[in-house]
Amino acid sequence: MFGVDWWGLALPFAYIAVLLGALVTFSSMSRKRRAAKSANLAPWFPPHLQRNIYLSLLHLEPEEGKEKAPAVPDSIIRAALLRRAVEDIHRIIQIRSAKQACSTLLQRGSVGDDLWQRFERAEKEMEEELRDVVTEVSKCSYPELGPSIFQSANEIAAGTLLRKKLQDIQSQAPAEKEWWERRRASIQSEFMKELEAPSKGGSDDDAVLVNGASNTASIRKKKGKK
Amino acid sequence: MSGTDYSYDEQGQFFPIFIATIVGIVTIPLTYTVLKPSSDPGATAPRIKTDYRPEHADLIDIQRKAQKKKERKLKRILTVVAGWATMAFMAYLIYVTARTIPKIWNPYDILGISDSASEREIKSHYKQLSKKYHPDKAKPDPAKNETLETINDYYVELVKAYKALTDEDIRNNFIQFGHPDGKQSFSIGIALPKFIVTDGNGKYVILVYAALLGVLLPYLVGSWWYGTQRMSKEKVLIESANNLFREYDEGLEEGGIVSALSTGLEFQNALKGDKAESGLGKLETRILAEGIATPLAGGLSTKDRTVLEDLDGGARRKALALLWAYLGRVELDDPALNQAKIEVAPIAHALNTSFTAIALAFGTTAPILASYLTGQNLLQAMPPKASPLLQLPFVTPAIAKAIEGDSRTHLSLQDYMALPEAYRKKLAVGKGLLTEAQYNTAMSVAKQLPRLQVEKAFFKVTGEKYIIPSSLVSLVVKGRFIPPGSQDIPEVNELDLEDIDPDEDDLDAILGRKKKGVKGAKPEEEKIIQPPLAFAPYFARDYSPRWHVFLTDSKQGKIAVPPFTFTTFDKPIYDESGKPTFNMQTLKAQFQAPPQAGHYTFVMHLICDSYVGFDTKMEVTLVVDEASKGADIEADDDISEPDEDSIAGQMQAMKSGVAAPPKKKKNKPESSDDEESNTEEEVEDTSDTDTDTDEE
Repeated sequence: MFGVDWWGLALPFAYIAVLLGALVTFSSMSRKRRAAKSANLAPWFPPHLQRNIYLSLLHLEPEEGKEKAPAVPDSIIRAALLRRAVEDIHRIIQIRSAKQACSTLLQRGSVGDDLWQRFERAEKEMEEELRDVVTEVSKCSYPELGPSIFQSANEIAAGTLLRKKLQDIQSQAPAEKEWWERRRASIQSEFMKELEAPSKGGSDDDAVLVNGASNTASIRKKKGKK
Repeated sequence: MSGTDYSYDEQGQFFPIFIATIVGIVTIPLTYTVLKPSSDPGATAPRIKTDYRPEHADLIDIQRKAQKKKERKLKRILTVVAGWATMAFMAYLIYVTARTIPKIWNPYDILGISDSASEREIKSHYKQLSKKYHPDKAKPDPAKNETLETINDYYVELVKAYKALTDEDIRNNFIQFGHPDGKQSFSIGIALPKFIVTDGNGKYVILVYAALLGVLLPYLVGSWWYGTQRMSKEKVLIESANNLFREYDEGLEEGGIVSALSTGLEFQNALKGDKAESGLGKLETRILAEGIATPLAGGLSTKDRTVLEDLDGGARRKALALLWAYLGRVELDDPALNQAKIEVAPIAHALNTSFTAIALAFGTTAPILASYLTGQNLLQAMPPKASPLLQLPFVTPAIAKAIEGDSRTHLSLQDYMALPEAYRKKLAVGKGLLTEAQYNTAMSVAKQLPRLQVEKAFFKVTGEKYIIPSSLVSLVVKGRFIPPGSQDIPEVNELDLEDIDPDEDDLDAILGRKKKGVKGAKPEEEKIIQPPLAFAPYFARDYSPRWHVFLTDSKQGKIAVPPFTFTTFDKPIYDESGKPTFNMQTLKAQFQAPPQAGHYTFVMHLICDSYVGFDTKMEVTLVVDEASKGADIEADDDISEPDEDSIAGQMQAMKSGVAAPPKKKKNKPESSDDEESNTEEEVEDTSDTDTDTDEE
């Protein structure tokens, strides 16, 4: 009565199998790809040089032939830690200023999702890093540094920034100076020409003119030196 | 007879209709998109007339043409043509296939009487017919091809029809089922030709079905989805946008932005394989050679030079070098390199748009301005901080330098053109400088450039005398297009400087303006005037200039009101003969006033993104009065509808920026001394004329 035509049913079953198989393959592949992609996301910040220096100072390997590693003075370790904190401050400032912009841009669709992922990862890393610095300070032989380390680091960072800006401005000075020198020379030569041209007359007016010319030139000179 | 059986479309009478419908659904909208008048400004906008051809104009033209071809949507046109061809073929099939419409059984027709005949008429008519057609009486007429049988059949039909109209049961049957005998069998047709279901074809059909649903559909959806994910809102690759975000820095200047732009992935695609390295050495020696107006020929500063030299070889380094070559207008003596040099500029320009969006999100003024300037530089092929005179035809860095003399600041185009004619000419024409003809060409171009000169900028709230906290303020900028070197500029008409509110009853005008304010402030007037396309002979695209208006806070160095962009204007800029009209143009930007009363000083920037040196920067002060001041005036107004002053309603109105409808009165009598309720009422006032007369 119920002679099931198994061969006839094979086709629908095969269809379902293929459909499900395709879906499962797709989902697993897409997951794997996404995981691989997020694992391979480029880090937000370049390698933390100051931290590496600090850690290598802390865990100095003994030199060959010697049993003990050379003792590093505490002051150097502290300085390395402070340098590390300064770099952290730089990075935190960067993250803080970028966070708002990054999220609005992501919402607008102006930047991609993986940028945000990278950003969040960097943020978490920085939190960990700060915590690590705090614990390192407490382990440090100079506990007074503890509460003030980030404050000092902040000031160092601000100072460095200011100095860099100053340097930038001062580096323009030679070029400016040169230009003013040239300018002064050209103005002077022009006045000299003017002086020579009507000097045949030799009237009083010309003398006044000469005075005026030299005056302006000297004013320019002062300005140029500034 | 009952039961259901499927009939396939054996004659193929429905299948063509089906196909034609499906194809039509796709083709007709596509046809519209193809035929729709192009929104591309290049098609309609006027051009600046000149016969100047820069060096390598042929290369630039080739690229412009290639771009046009790309934009011509060739694929879409082909699809449309194929669609219409299919539809025409299907129409032909429908026309040729004889349609077998099952005849509807109608007793009235059989008896040959009208549908409105009464029972008596039916009876008498039937009697007449039966006399004539009764098989006993009628004789078969061979001439009419009649036999006894057909006569008999016809008579049976007549009887049936008569019965249907007289017998109660049969009549009911006829009404209900359309047949005197009662319910008839259904025939369900499937508009598929039979070959699809015939044995042996099944597997192919399944194959096609599987290909459609299992391959084509996921492919289409996937490509659409990843396509939208691939590009950012500014139409650059999302990865390029990410790179630009990483490159952003508060202290970035124009040169730094050019370096940042070279991170774009688009360059990697443009400079694939062999192109990534070829000629890099030559290119770099050329751009790093000593320049005339700038220390280096490419116009890059020492800082930019170190950035370039620190890069690894490859596409990015070459892209950056090409960009500098383009900006410095450096001749590369190599067709491939020159071609690439022209090619990188539009890419960089697109990337720069993305960078501007990023800079705007950060909100610091300096990089925003720098990115706008970079956009101008890219359009005009000028290095950062170069003389604006380079925008004129035939002017090379050497000539620009000669004109400017040994000056620290650059002479802007309008300043140069404002010099007395004779002196101006003396500066530019001479040995090693421009020839007479070249000078005339340059002057004719300069006198056509649209420079928007701001005459007045002020704040106002539509329909109000005072600006109260959190109200919707319009920044009104009044300006005239005064091309550099224009003579006989008429005096500003004071009346033009005022901004007259539309009639309070004129809801359309009010709403129209609101809409305009919300979406980038495009004038909605019927007559929309496009400015001429940017005069950018080195840029391989047509570009329609835009004007951006934004407010910054000079103390914090942050942007206060994001840019409003203007691309069209409501009054003609030039008359028929190309002379400037000096019409007063109005630009409006709406934003929310600060929540506290006080004087706010902003710096207003008006930036034209196509020309260097046409920007305006001026201070404007926004005076926000106490909310009570606004309410005092309206205190006389005794009509009030407190119901409508629900917080929710007000919030909604504030949020959407849409003013309350004119009918709405919003003043509570007690509100004049109540700070709290005042703030709730600071929705844009568009109350009708009564309020207005009270105010005056």
